[in-house]
Amino acid sequence: MKLIKLFIVFIALSFGAAQAVLEVTVVKKDENAFPIIVSHFELTGKGAQDKDISKIIQANLERSGRFNVVIPDIIISQNVDAQHWKHQNIEAVVTGNIDQQSEKIYKLSVSLFDVYSNKQLFTKTTRVHVSGFRKVAHQLSDHIYEALLGESGSFNTLLTYVTVTTDAKGNKEYRLNISDSDAMNVKSRIKLKTPILSPVWSPDRSYEHKKIAYVSFENGRSEVFVWHPYTRRKIEKLPRFDGIASAPSWHPDGKSLVLTLSKDGNKDIYSYTLADKKLTQLTHNPSIDTEASYSPDGTQLAFTSNRSGQVQIYIKNLSTGKINRATFEGRYNAKAVFSPDGKSLAMVHRVDNDYRIAMLDIKTKDLSMMTNNELDESPYFSPNGDMIIFATNRNNKNLLSVVSVEGNRSYELSSQTGEVREPNWSTYLEK
Amino acid sequence: MKKIVLLPLVAMLSACTGANGILGSNTVVIEERSNEGKAVDAIVRDESSFNWSDLTKPFNKASNTTQASAKAQAVAELKASDTNFVLYFSYDGTDIGDKATQEIIKHANFMRDNPSVKLRLEGHADERGTREYNLALGENRALSVKEVLGLYEGLDGRIEVISFGEETPIAKAHDESGWEKNRRVEFIYQ
Repeated sequence: MKLIKLFIVFIALSFGAAQAVLEVTVVKKDENAFPIIVSHFELTGKGAQDKDISKIIQANLERSGRFNVVIPDIIISQNVDAQHWKHQNIEAVVTGNIDQQSEKIYKLSVSLFDVYSNKQLFTKTTRVHVSGFRKVAHQLSDHIYEALLGESGSFNTLLTYVTVTTDAKGNKEYRLNISDSDAMNVKSRIKLKTPILSPVWSPDRSYEHKKIAYVSFENGRSEVFVWHPYTRRKIEKLPRFDGIASAPSWHPDGKSLVLTLSKDGNKDIYSYTLADKKLTQLTHNPSIDTEASYSPDGTQLAFTSNRSGQVQIYIKNLSTGKINRATFEGRYNAKAVFSPDGKSLAMVHRVDNDYRIAMLDIKTKDLSMMTNNELDESPYFSPNGDMIIFATNRNNKNLLSVVSVEGNRSYELSSQTGEVREPNWSTYLEK
Repeated sequence: MKKIVLLPLVAMLSACTGANGILGSNTVVIEERSNEGKAVDAIVRDESSFNWSDLTKPFNKASNTTQASAKAQAVAELKASDTNFVLYFSYDGTDIGDKATQEIIKHANFMRDNPSVKLRLEGHADERGTREYNLALGENRALSVKEVLGLYEGLDGRIEVISFGEETPIAKAHDESGWEKNRRVEFIYQ
């Protein structure tokens, strides 16, 4: 039995803005989804009554499309009757207990039982501060996912996205939001009347170091900002450059970012180191070079360029300096991002008049279509590489869609009150 | 005195120099752009422009209100003189066609006659393709216009270029009828 100490000290965030909570809709699940019982947890102690985090775990597993979650009416005790569930074609059972120990501290015990082997796969016992319940629920979801499927989950992670609402007079409000991977626990502190673009999480795993780089037009032109949402609540502005400053993307070490600048007229890609403000030019071409993205090991840089007369993806080898064209299918391929294993790129690919998400196997150059929509953009991989989140358009409204790389599972995140776009998925958070 | 040769636009200019007399003793050199030889001429249309200036700070506040109102009046007169303040572009295109050049020449004359005015060129794109690429494309459209204006002495330093990419469409339709209006450069005088 492993005791995980979880005293997560969240710096109190007083986000005044009304929360833009997204609606989650599971669209498609795996035909052979794993049948699992996730029982409501037993609650002991007065303060525990509204702390049943089994609901978060149920929603997480269900949303992944890889589980058929069955929620019994009664609370299943931690002594699981394997024979009973075998007859019901259930393969695993999750049970739990939450016991209030002091005003703010709870003891949580969660078990995963494998029906066929008639064995407990794990019991996690943890002390949880009242503010840490959601994080623990996501961590437990990752444990269950990994124990049953043998792969890492992507639950203990964060999203960022932009929402746009239009009032009766036609005035727009743009918000930069952050949320848990389940689109809950939304914080939207940055609210502007001018567009916000391209938010991207820094690769840091701790809340203290996590940052979001984004593009804002609040000063009348596109500029790159870096927001520290959990610590100093600080927003850093990069030095002012003439022309465009846009398309930020982090180096895997989190110390520098690449961005597109047009200070010399050409749109080229530069690396900018936060600590010493050092700027290094990475592309030199009179064409448009933009939307750069590092490979996970930091040795390669994918970017969009129209240097051939068409909009295509190129990869620069950062040790040799050599630039090779990566895409040859179609006349428009843009905004490529590396998969976490570095073997594939997800990108926007034009087919006839439609803009879809496609995935390129970098070695074989095989391009596979991930979507069948008209106007998709901004793809990004989940940290386990299992899914791609992107913005799509339905009935002239932006919403977010998430599809598995095999194409067999998907869900959507939409807003009742406006548009949702520019999604980005963080790396794993510290445990 | 600069020598100006007008390569792709010779025919058009010979037609309009008489009316505008803009060439004077100057000659303009415009290099042929290597855009796959496509006839992607910017088209000229009458559309009211997106009023971005309501949302953002003007980049130069006139210190003298009399001067400011004189400028405003001059701009109003230019508008009334059948001059287009918005130029339109083809899909993924940045080329300036003959008709668009005629309009740019009217603006060049105006700026020459009104040495205190400054111009902001705002480039825009339609919603197709990625937002960041479109931001770059919008800037290239505005730079194309600036390149023509910059051929006239004394104008270059008075022109600011900004791109809003696909972020501020003026037409809402999600088809060519909307897209063609959104691929544009707006002339905003300060």
